Amino acid sequence: MNFKSFIAATAGKTARLSLKLLGRTGGSYPGVLALKINPDILKDLAKDYEVILITGTNGKTLTTALSVSLLKEKYPNLLTNPSGSNMIQGIVSAFLSHKVPKNEKKIAVLEVDEAYLVKIVSYLKPKAIVTTNLFRDQMDRFGEIYTVYNKILEGIELSPETTIIANGDAPIFNSANFSNPRVYFGFSNQEEGDMRAHYNTDNVLCPKCEKILNYKYISYANLGKYFCKNCGFERPQLNYSLTSIDELSLESSSFHIDGHPFKINVAGLYNIYNALAAYSVGRFMGLSIDEITSGFSKAQRVFGRQELIDIDDKKVLINLIKNPVGLNQVLDLITIQGDPCSLIVLLNDNYADGRDVSWIWDGQFEKLGEMDIKSVKVGGIRRKEMKFRLQVANFNEDEIMTLDEISDVIPAIKEAPTKYVHILATYTAMLQLRKELSQHGYVKGEID
Amino acid sequence: MKELKICHLYGDLLNTYGDNGSLLVLQWRARQKGFNVSTELVSIDEHFDSDAYDIVFLGGGQDYEQYVISKDIQNKKDSITRYIENGGVFIGICGGFQLLGHYYTTASGKKIDGISALNHYTLNQVNNRFIGDITIIDKETGEKYEGYENHNGRTFLGEGVGPLGEVELGFGNNGEDKTEGARYKNVFCSYLHGPLLVRNVHLADRIIDIAYSQQSK
Repeated sequence: MNFKSFIAATAGKTARLSLKLLGRTGGSYPGVLALKINPDILKDLAKDYEVILITGTNGKTLTTALSVSLLKEKYPNLLTNPSGSNMIQGIVSAFLSHKVPKNEKKIAVLEVDEAYLVKIVSYLKPKAIVTTNLFRDQMDRFGEIYTVYNKILEGIELSPETTIIANGDAPIFNSANFSNPRVYFGFSNQEEGDMRAHYNTDNVLCPKCEKILNYKYISYANLGKYFCKNCGFERPQLNYSLTSIDELSLESSSFHIDGHPFKINVAGLYNIYNALAAYSVGRFMGLSIDEITSGFSKAQRVFGRQELIDIDDKKVLINLIKNPVGLNQVLDLITIQGDPCSLIVLLNDNYADGRDVSWIWDGQFEKLGEMDIKSVKVGGIRRKEMKFRLQVANFNEDEIMTLDEISDVIPAIKEAPTKYVHILATYTAMLQLRKELSQHGYVKGEID
Repeated sequence: MKELKICHLYGDLLNTYGDNGSLLVLQWRARQKGFNVSTELVSIDEHFDSDAYDIVFLGGGQDYEQYVISKDIQNKKDSITRYIENGGVFIGICGGFQLLGHYYTTASGKKIDGISALNHYTLNQVNNRFIGDITIIDKETGEKYEGYENHNGRTFLGEGVGPLGEVELGFGNNGEDKTEGARYKNVFCSYLHGPLLVRNVHLADRIIDIAYSQQSK
C-alpha cells in the first residue's frame, strides 16, 4: 500500500470509527472520504482478496446473500457489502471495515450495480463474475438492455482470467464472444415441448440471426431452454442444473440441484435461480454438498425484499416490486397460495422507484383473476393509476378501495377480511411502510 | 355479437415503455362496449393480411429490435399501405410512428428506411432526448391528450398529413413546429407514452367507434 492509499484508508477508517462512536453506521461516507483522498484506493484495499462480483437486473441482492451464507461455512469472516451499497463508495466502505484472522483466506463477495461493474473491475481482478439476468428495468435510468450488457462486457474483457458464472437460460449471456472461462447454470426440470415467450417479454431475438427464439421450456420471462429454428443457436451445456422443484410455498422452496435436495427459507421460483447461482459459486469455490446444504438452511430472507410478518391474527407477505419481470414473478408467487386473501398495492414514483410508472402496464395483473381475492386496496403517490390498472385487469371500480396515507395501511391490514394479506410495494413505499411497522413494533430495525 | 379484431403488429418485439397498456385499454373498452375482442400477433416472417383486422397497433421498441423490424416490415409494406389506404384504423406509437414514414435516423446517426405509408421523416438529435410530460390539443375534436414523451427522433410532417394535436406543453414531434403525432385517413400516430390510451381513454373510445363504423363500409 503506498502512502496516499495509507492516508486514504486511515481517514476512511477513522471516519467510520467516529461515526460508530456517535451511534451511526456511516453508510458509504467512509468510502466517499477515502476515495476523495485516493480515487484508486480500491486497488490497494482489494489486493490480497479473492473477489466474486455479482451483477444483473434482478436477484443480485439475494444471490449475494445466499452465496455469502454458503461460503461462510468455510470462510466465516468473508467480506460482503450490504444491499444497496453496490456502487463504488459502498464497496470501498465495506473493505475499510473488514477484518480477517491471520490464517483465514481473504474472500470478498460483492453485489455490484450493472453500470459500475466495469469501474470495479478496473481496480481489482475478480476470481469470478456472476451474471444473474438482464431485463428491462426503469429504462429512464438504466437504458436499453443491450447497452447495459455492453457495459458488463467491457468489465469482463478487462479481466480475461476471470471466470464468468452466467445464467445459461438467458440468451443474452450466450450472445457475445469473449475468451474468459465460462460456467453456466440453468433449469433442467421440465418436459420438453416447443413454445415461444409471452408476447410482452423483452429480448426474444436470436442474437446470431435475428429471428425469434423458440423454447423447449420456459421457467419465466425469457429464461429457459432456448433454441433458434433458423440457425441452430441454442442454450449452452449447463455445468450446474436445477433438476427438480419439489415444493413452493410462501415460506420456503424445496428443490434438487444436480440431484441433491436443498431447501431455502425464501419463497418464489425466481429465487431458486438465485439459489442455483449461489450453489454454482459454492461449487466453484470448492464447497462440499454438505457445506452447501448447511449454508442454505441458515440463509435468511433478504431484508426489505420479501418479508412474512404477523400482525395480530394476519399473515402478511410484503414483496418489493420494481420492474415488470420482478412484478410478474411476485404475482406468480402469491398465486401459489390457494387460500382467500386480501391485496394491497402501493405505487410510488420517487426517483428510487423510477419516475415513469408506465411499467405497471407490462405487469400481468390479469393473473390475479386466478386468485380468491376478497379485498383490494391501493395506496402510494400514484394510487389513482394503480387503481385504473386493476380496473383494466377486470376488478370493478367500486371494489377497489383507496388508502390516502401510508399510515392507513396497518389499519387496513387489521381490518382485512382474510387471514392472508399480500402487499406489493415499490421501493420507497416499502421503506415508508417498514417505518410504520417498526414504529408499531411489528418489525425491528430499518433499512439504511 | 359485435366483433373487434386487433392486430398487434410486432407485438413481441415492440413493447417498451408500457405501451402494452394502450392495447389492454383498447381491449377493455371494446369489451365494455359489447364487442367480442380478438387479438392476433403478427411478427417477423409472418404475413400481414390487409383485410383481416379492424385495428392495427404498432408500438415502440429498443433500437436493436426496431432495426430488425425495419428490414422485415419492407415485406409487409404493400399490404400495410393497402390497409391504410382502404381506411383501416392504425395506431403507431413512437418507433411505430417513425416506421410508417419515409425514414428515421437513429441516435448514432444511422438512417433507416420506413415504409413511406405516411408522408413524414425523422431526424435525430445529438446527445439529447425530448423527455417529460406533454399535453396536446386535438384541433379536430378540441380534446386534450396527456402523456409522457421520451424520444431522440425529430419528426417532420409532409403534405397531406396533419398532426394528432398541437403542443400545449412539451416538445412534440420536433420541438420546433408545435405539431405532435400524425393523422392521415384513419391512422393515429403519436410519441405519447404514459401509455397514450391509458391516459386518454376518450381517444381509445373514439378509435374503437371509428373502427366499428369502418366495418359497415
